[in-house]
Amino acid sequence: MTVAHSRPPVTPGGSRAWRATALSGVAVLALVTVHMVAHHFVVQSVGGLRSYRQVLEYIGNPVIFVIESLFLVVVTWHAMLGLRSVLFDLGLSETSRRRASRALAGLGVATVAYGFALIGILASRS
Amino acid sequence: MNPNDLDAIRDARRAPGPVLRKAPGPVAWFDVRRRRAGSVAFSISRLAGLGLVFYLYLHLAVLSLLLRGPGAWGSFLRVATTPALLGMDVLLLFGLLVHGLNGLRVALIGTGVAPDRQKALLWTVMTVAAILLLYGALHILGSR
Repeated sequence: MTVAHSRPPVTPGGSRAWRATALSGVAVLALVTVHMVAHHFVVQSVGGLRSYRQVLEYIGNPVIFVIESLFLVVVTWHAMLGLRSVLFDLGLSETSRRRASRALAGLGVATVAYGFALIGILASRS
Repeated sequence: MNPNDLDAIRDARRAPGPVLRKAPGPVAWFDVRRRRAGSVAFSISRLAGLGLVFYLYLHLAVLSLLLRGPGAWGSFLRVATTPALLGMDVLLLFGLLVHGLNGLRVALIGTGVAPDRQKALLWTVMTVAAILLLYGALHILGSR
């Protein structure tokens, strides 16, 4: 069925958000490949899951630490942009869109902060 | 494409006022009935994306078990290496491949790198995804 409805309002920066999603998506694709291969596929264990000691040795490597930290930031950024896009498609008002953007930014910062704390504590135990 | 069709599309884009769309509404993207392959790929990719966001937080929660020491992590490993959970890992890999490679296709089209190769790109990335999924599934399930 084809139905006429109002054209959605043009969001300032909408194009910028799309470019950010695409850019972060390409970065996530590269980093998730490194993560999957380096963390799971090179390990000779069931399901590619490392033991407690192996995880600490892995995250204690400075290069891996930087890669995993970058992965955390980029994947969270991409996830928040994706959630924002889904929420905006619900037809929110301009005020609700601003609130949603702020809430997602806060959630993203909290996620990255918790992830950094987790990685940092585990790296310090290696 | 007929030049008249292109003119009609350009005129429709420039026209103010209501836009004609199938099944309008906040979750129209979820309805894939009578949609083209690209639209179906968008819906599947978005569903996979929502699943991956859920997994991001599940992954952080699981990794938090490491803070409780080797005992808690060992208990998790015993559950995580059961066939059912390894099957969920394959499902995760499916979501990653579909969302990641379809996203790459959309980025190539949207940035103007390959704007007129939509269908060919879709089938190429889905073929690559199927091959990688098969390899990954054999690696994950064959590790038992």
